[in-house]
Formats: sequence, structure tokens, C-alpha cells
Amino acid sequence: MHFTEWNSSRLVRNSMRRGKRRNLLTPSTFSLLHAVDFADRFIYQILPPLRAGMIVLADRYVYTAFARDVARGVHPDWVRGVYRFAPRPDLTFFFRVPIDVSLERLLAGRAKLKYYEAGMDLGLSTDLVESFRLFQGRVLEIYDQLAQEFDLRVIDASHDIAGQQKVVRRMTGEILREYDHQRARNRHGSSATAR
Amino acid sequence: MAAQPPHAKRWHGHGLPYLDEKPLPGHLIVIEGTDGVGRSTQVELLRGWLELEGYAVSNTGWTRSPLLSETIAEAKAGHQLTPITFSLLYAADFADRLEHEILPALQAGFVVIADRYMYTAFARNAVMGADPEWTQEVFGMALVPDLVLYLEIDVDTLVPRVVRGKGMDYWESGLHLALSSDIFDSFQNYQRRIIAEYKHLAREFAFITIDARESINKIQAELRAHVSEYLRRAQGGFQPQADVPSKPKV
Repeated sequence: MHFTEWNSSRLVRNSMRRGKRRNLLTPSTFSLLHAVDFADRFIYQILPPLRAGMIVLADRYVYTAFARDVARGVHPDWVRGVYRFAPRPDLTFFFRVPIDVSLERLLAGRAKLKYYEAGMDLGLSTDLVESFRLFQGRVLEIYDQLAQEFDLRVIDASHDIAGQQKVVRRMTGEILREYDHQRARNRHGSSATAR
Repeated sequence: MAAQPPHAKRWHGHGLPYLDEKPLPGHLIVIEGTDGVGRSTQVELLRGWLELEGYAVSNTGWTRSPLLSETIAEAKAGHQLTPITFSLLYAADFADRLEHEILPALQAGFVVIADRYMYTAFARNAVMGADPEWTQEVFGMALVPDLVLYLEIDVDTLVPRVVRGKGMDYWESGLHLALSSDIFDSFQNYQRRIIAEYKHLAREFAFITIDARESINKIQAELRAHVSEYLRRAQGGFQPQADVPSKPKV
């Protein structure tokens, strides 16, 4: 099993930091910098384990960009084009919460919302919380459309964690059944292919 | 983008839909050509001449965005780039300059001279093996320039210029493609491929090709003639004087 997380590659860390600190990012550079980050992790962290037959668990994938960047105003077809090198996942969960719940959870964890997560760059409102509501409302609407378009499994994330895990594990188990068969076949194969 | 005769601007692809449609009365002139062909010298001469002719001129160059230039330099030094990350970094640099330099200058009526444009990415990506359609999609946010002047050279003429100049470097020699372990062979091979790609692009995107084997003055005179002609048409009559410089001022 291999785990990878959004916005964690070292390659663009400095540009991202510089851009965010000085509020220099435009919707297209915001989008492209995240695409570089994703591409770097895709090539070095996602592709090799997949080729080796491993399971990759990705915390956010291209759909984050499809929702967030389009909410910022880039063309939906353009951002899909940018990420065309990334294969469709075998299974995608969309953990969905109403804006008020996400707002409450974020503010419980830290003092302040971040400039870009609140969509302050779009000038929707000068109030951080109000801007967050408006921007993340747009993001959520787009996610709902993406869930249809890309068959994302929607998990009601306002429920208790144990309940969500149960659903997630059941769905993952179904997808992995074929994978387990394959592994079993490999194990019983010749010594040359056994691992 | 709203139509603005006589030189309406258009996007290469989907453009930047979040920007207000503001008129862009300026002119976007691109100078393309491979490494070591003399682009920067020509851009400087062209800039000086246009300023003397009374134009407000702004220039922009590849990987010069404040947001990305350091990151690109670091990534190149670390050799961790792949064709996809390479392309996307260049695209981010380009988008940053497009929105912060090129579009504002065009709105203010400047003549913008771009030392390299999206075609550099098209040529390099094709040689690196990135999907050409994908590259064009990524650069769909670009504005189509009003004029593309391409400085064409052959590898045999290019080699001594580069050797006498700043020398052969890792990337310009295409060593990242592992075409050869010998830098000289690799340079020739890589640049030959880049030039062949430019040739296709010149046809596809109607570049004006200029023979870069000529002297600096002769090339500059040709560039000026084409720029004058373009500006005359764009402005409906007025034509700056396309004198050959007696001595290049760099």
C-alpha cells in the first residue's frame, strides 16, 4: 500500500509559498502550480507502485482541481485537459459535508481560515467567513456535478466516523475482490512469478 | 475576447474566462528561435528602435516570472524533471507572465516583444516525447500573438556560435534525453530535432521565417521591415522607418 497527499511535492513548494504569501496567484497559475505538484507525485509516487501491482491511496486527486479551479473561474475543459495524463482511479470517495459543518470543523482546529481556501483572491466578500461560504458553496456544487460525471462514491461525512468507515471498507472490499483473486493466482503460480 | 479591429486578439484555446473582456489595443510580437540563435540581441535592438519610433515597449522572456523562475532553476539543477512536470512548470511561468505582464501591457497599448512564446514549449515538448495535443491544450490559456518572427538556423552554423558564446549547457544539449553521452553529439542531435519541430510549427502557425545565418544587422533590418509592415497594417497607414542600424547597440 502506498499513500500520497495533495500539495506535498518539494518541487513547487517555494513557488507555492511565495505565491500564497504575497497573494500573487491567479486562477490559472494556482491551477498550474497544483498540477505540477500533482504531476511530480504522480510520476514518482503513484505510477511506480501501481506498476508494481500495489494499492495507492490518494488523499485528494484530480477532482480537487476540477472543483476548486473551476470555482475560481478556469475553463472546465482546460483543467481536464491539463490533467489528462492521470488515469481514472478504480474507486473514488467523495466525503461530503455541508459548508457549515466544514466551517465549524476548520475553525475548531485552528484560529483562522486561509486566504486561498476562503477564495479571498476572487473578491466575493471582504469578510473571510462569508467569502469561505460563497467560494466553498461553489466548490461543493461543482463536486456534486463531478460525482455524477465521474461516478464518485458520495459518503455523508457529517455522520459518525465509524459509520463512514464501515461503508468505505465495504465498497473498497468489493473493488479489491478481483485484486485479491489475482494476488492468490500469482502466489500459486511458478516460483519465478511468486512474490 | 471582444473583437477589436483592425487587429482582433484571440485565445489559443479556452483562454482565461475569468478575466473581464477588456480591449487590448497593444501589439504582441513574438521572436522565436532555438538556443544561441541570437534572439536576445535582436530583441534588444528591436526594442530600442521601436522606442525611438515613439512606441511604448515592454518585453518578456521565457522563465522570467518572479513566481517560477527560481523554482525552475532549482528543479533543473536537481534534474528531477520529467516531460510532464517540465511542461507544466513552463506553462505556469508563462501564465504568470501573461497575466501580470503581457495582458496589462497590451491593455495599455504597448508593443510587447516576447523573447520566446508558447511555440518554444511546443517544440521542446515534442522532442521530449510529451503528447503534442496535450501541450497545446495546456497552453490553451495563451493569447495568439499578432506576429511571430522565427529566426531559423541550421545546426552547422549554430554550433560554432554557441561554442564561441556561452558554451554548451546540459539542457540546451538535450543531455536529459540521453541521446548520447557526448555533449557535442547530443547538442547537434537535440538541436537538429528542435529545429525540425520549429519547421513544422512555422507552417502550422504561419511564422515569418528569417534566415538567422545572416549578419546581426541584416537580420535586424528584416525584423524591422516585418514589424513596420505589421504596424502599418494594424494602424491603418502609419509606418515607422525601417532603417538598417549602422552599428548594433546592445
